Amino acid sequence: MYKGTEASAGIGIGKAVLVRSAEPVIRRELAADADAEVERLRKALADTAVRTEKLASELASRTGEKEAGILQGHLMLLSDPTLIGEIESFIRKEAVCSEYAVEAVCSAYAGLFSAMDDERMRQRAADVKDIKNRLQQVLQGIEPEDAASLPPGSVILAKDLTPSMTAGILPTHIAGIVTEQGSRTSHSAILARALEIPAVVAAAGILDAVSDGDDIIVDGNAGEVLLRPSEAQKAEYRQKREQFLREKKELERYIGRPTVTLDGVQVELAANIASPEDVEKVLRYDGEAIGLFRTEFLFMDRTSVPTEEEQFRAYRKTAAAMGGRPVIIRTLDIGGDKEVPCMGLKKEENPFLGYRAVRLCLDRKEDIYRPQLRAILRASAFGAVRIMIPMVTSLEEFRETRQLIREIQKELTEEGTAFDPHIPVGIMVETPAAVLLADSFAREADFFSIGTNDLTQYTLCVDRGSEKVSDLYSPFHPAVLRSIRHIITCGRNAGIPVGMCGEAASDPMMIPLLLAFGLNEFSMSPSAILQARKIITGYRTEDLQEMAAQVMKLETAGETEDFLRAFAGC
Amino acid sequence: MVSEKVVIRNLTGLHLRPAGILCNKAILYKSRIQFRIGNTTANAKSVLSVLGACVKCGDEIEFICEGEDEKEALKAMVDVVESGLGE
Repeated sequence: MYKGTEASAGIGIGKAVLVRSAEPVIRRELAADADAEVERLRKALADTAVRTEKLASELASRTGEKEAGILQGHLMLLSDPTLIGEIESFIRKEAVCSEYAVEAVCSAYAGLFSAMDDERMRQRAADVKDIKNRLQQVLQGIEPEDAASLPPGSVILAKDLTPSMTAGILPTHIAGIVTEQGSRTSHSAILARALEIPAVVAAAGILDAVSDGDDIIVDGNAGEVLLRPSEAQKAEYRQKREQFLREKKELERYIGRPTVTLDGVQVELAANIASPEDVEKVLRYDGEAIGLFRTEFLFMDRTSVPTEEEQFRAYRKTAAAMGGRPVIIRTLDIGGDKEVPCMGLKKEENPFLGYRAVRLCLDRKEDIYRPQLRAILRASAFGAVRIMIPMVTSLEEFRETRQLIREIQKELTEEGTAFDPHIPVGIMVETPAAVLLADSFAREADFFSIGTNDLTQYTLCVDRGSEKVSDLYSPFHPAVLRSIRHIITCGRNAGIPVGMCGEAASDPMMIPLLLAFGLNEFSMSPSAILQARKIITGYRTEDLQEMAAQVMKLETAGETEDFLRAFAGC
Repeated sequence: MVSEKVVIRNLTGLHLRPAGILCNKAILYKSRIQFRIGNTTANAKSVLSVLGACVKCGDEIEFICEGEDEKEALKAMVDVVESGLGE
C-alpha cells in the first residue's frame, strides 16, 4: 500500500494508465528574419488560444464556469502584453527561434513564481510551464496528450498532471487520479475535487512499482493507494465506495440550508480550525462561523516566538476570508505537556494543573500576551473577530486580560490603527471553578464557549491519555452534564450567547440534549458540520425538554449514555 | 492622474482567477492602470505583472490611473475589487 496526501474524497477502483508528459526538445536555433519569426510566434499564440478556448468550454460544461476559470486564466496569459512583449523582444534581440524565446521567458517567470513564499503563487509556476509546453508543441506541430481518449475505469498515474491535461479528463471515464508530486492546492487536486474524482497526490515511489493495466484502488478519503489488490480487498473497497456515495448524497442536501429546528429555533453551526488554510474547508462544508481558532499552531515547530505582524497576517487572513461571519480566536492555550521549543517551557509534574494557557500569558504579557492581543485587535478591523480566553479559573484573570485589552485599544487609537472597539471578549468554560462561578462570569464576559474535553477531564479528574483510567473519561457523566446545563442556564439568564467547541458538540447522542438545554452555537471539525445540521434540523426542541428532564434524573454515566443512545437511535 | 487605496478581500489574494478578472476589467479602459503595493508597481492590464506582485488577502493596494478616462477607470477598478473579483 502506498501512502500519499488525500486530495479529493471518494474511492476509485480501476486499471492503471501511466501518463508521461513529453516535453519538447528545445534548441537555440537562430532565426535570421525576426519579423517572420515574430509572425510565427503570433500564429502559434492564436492557435494555442483557440485550443485552450475549446478545452475551457468543454470543461465549463462538465464542472461549471468556476473551474474552467483556470483555463480562462491561461487564455489571459496567452494574450498578456507583458509576456508577449518580452518574448517578441527576446526574438528580435537574440535573433533566435520562437521556441527558444518562449523557453527563456516562460522559464524565468516560472522560476520567479516558484520562489514566492505563498503556496498558491507557487502554483502559478505550473501554469506558466503548462503554457510554455503547449506553445512549443504547437510551434513544433506535436499533438498534445489527450486524457479524453482514455477508456472507462482508468486510474491515471503521473508524476504531476498539467492543468490542460487535467482539463481534458472525463469524470465518467476516470475512476481515480494518483500523482507522485503536487499538493492539495495543485490544479490537478482542485480539479479532481471539482470533477469529484477520487485523488491521492504526493504518493512517493508509486510510478516505479506500477505497470500499465495493473488493478489499482485509490482511497481519496484516507490518502492511500492499493496496487494489485486481492479480490477480498476489491470487495471491501467496493462496499466502502457505495457507502461513501450514499452518505455524500444524503449530506449534500444540507448545504445552504439554515440550521433551524422544526419548531423554528435557530442555532449557529461553526467550525474549529487550527490555521487560516482550514477556512477553505469550512466554507466548503458550509460552516456559519469559526467557533474556535486554535492559535497554538503558530507557535509550534519553530525556534522563535511568532511576531505580532506574523500573527496579525494569519488572523486578518482568516477574518477577511470569513467575510463578516464571526471568528472566535482563542488566545494561546499551551503548557508543559507540549513540546514548544520557542517558549522555553519546563516540564512539570502536572502540566494540566500547572503553568499554562491564561496563567502563562498573564505572566508573560510583554513577549507573549500583548503581541498576540494586539495582533487580534488589529485583525478585528477586517471581520467579526472575537477573543476567547482559555482555562480561566478566577474573575481576576478575566479582568486583568480585559484591562490589558483596554490598554492596547488606547494605544491603537493613539497610533491611528483601525480595530473593532466593541470586540466581544469571552471565556472558555472548562474548569470546575468557572462552572461554579458561571453566574458571576456571565455578568462580565461577552460570551461563553464550553470546552467539553478539558471540562470532562478536570471535572472527573481523569487524564484521557492514562490508559488504566481512560475508561472513566465520559462527557455523559452526570457531573459533566449538570455542569453543561448550569453554564448554559447562567449564560442565558445573563443574555449572552453560549457555544460549545469540544468534541461533544458534534456527537449525535449529545446534540438533542444540548438543544434542550438551549445551546446557541455548536462548533466542530468542518467535516462534521453537515451531519450536525441534518440532525439538528430534524428535532423539535419542545419535544426534547421531557427527554432532557429524564436524562438529568439519571445518576451514572452508563445510564445517561445508554438512554441518549436509545433516544438518538445510534 | 488619480489614485485610490483598496483592500484585497479574496481568500487567496490575487491569484490567477481574480487577477484575470481584474485585468479583463482594466483592458476596457484607455488609461494606463497600475497599482502599487509596498515598493512594487504592477501593470493592471497584465496578468503576469499582477501575479508577480504577489498580493495576498488583506493587503492594501493603491490603484493609479492616468489617461483620458482615468476617473472611470479608477472607479471600475475599485468596484471590481470590492465586488470580490468573482469569489
